[in-house]
Amino acid sequence: MDIDTTVKLNIYETIAQTTQTPTTKDVAKALGIPLSDVESVFERLHKKRLLVPEPGDPSHIRMAPPFSGVETPFRVKVQEKLYYANCAWDALGIPAALHKDALIEAMDGFSGEPMTLEIKDGQPVSHPCVIHFAVPAAKWWEDIIFT
Amino acid sequence: MLLFRSEETVKQWCIANEIPVRPMINLDQLWYLAQTWYGNRLSVDSRRPGPDEMSGIFAQIGLAGPFWDPKSDLW
Repeated sequence: MDIDTTVKLNIYETIAQTTQTPTTKDVAKALGIPLSDVESVFERLHKKRLLVPEPGDPSHIRMAPPFSGVETPFRVKVQEKLYYANCAWDALGIPAALHKDALIEAMDGFSGEPMTLEIKDGQPVSHPCVIHFAVPAAKWWEDIIFT
Repeated sequence: MLLFRSEETVKQWCIANEIPVRPMINLDQLWYLAQTWYGNRLSVDSRRPGPDEMSGIFAQIGLAGPFWDPKSDLW
């Protein structure tokens, strides 16, 4: 397995197990490889759109989609663990990635009124809601944090 | 992309942010996107879908046109 794949898997497995995004130092220590190598891999994974570094601090992960490295309005409860998602799509992406059911606490984008979604037995439980895409697909990654 | 209780609150959000109302999808469509995008994200061979794959995924749930075209320069 090449180093990019090894680092990618370590990042995602760490998040799945701990709910926390690892830093470049965490990954280097866990895998026993030089920090500079991990930093290079983080850059390549960013180019592949598999992670987004924290603005101004490339040693930290802001997003490893569907997971968020910071708290967001999209709280995803899977068994006893609490994850944060980057957006509505990613909120469902977490149970999809983990292949587990989930309870998602979010809010109406306009009113802030609490909303709860549920993935049960591998399917979404019917709930009145719509998801609005403000940015066209060709421009999603021009400002992925806004998207 | 944001979650809303109804199309009405989408419209209110768009007015408040001075942007036009753009496409909306339902929960079943979103679950399809979530599974196709992230279902193998913890696997060795996981990767983000390429532009042509994205268009195919969108077409499966009826999302077509320039807005959903990752290669479009019409926006």
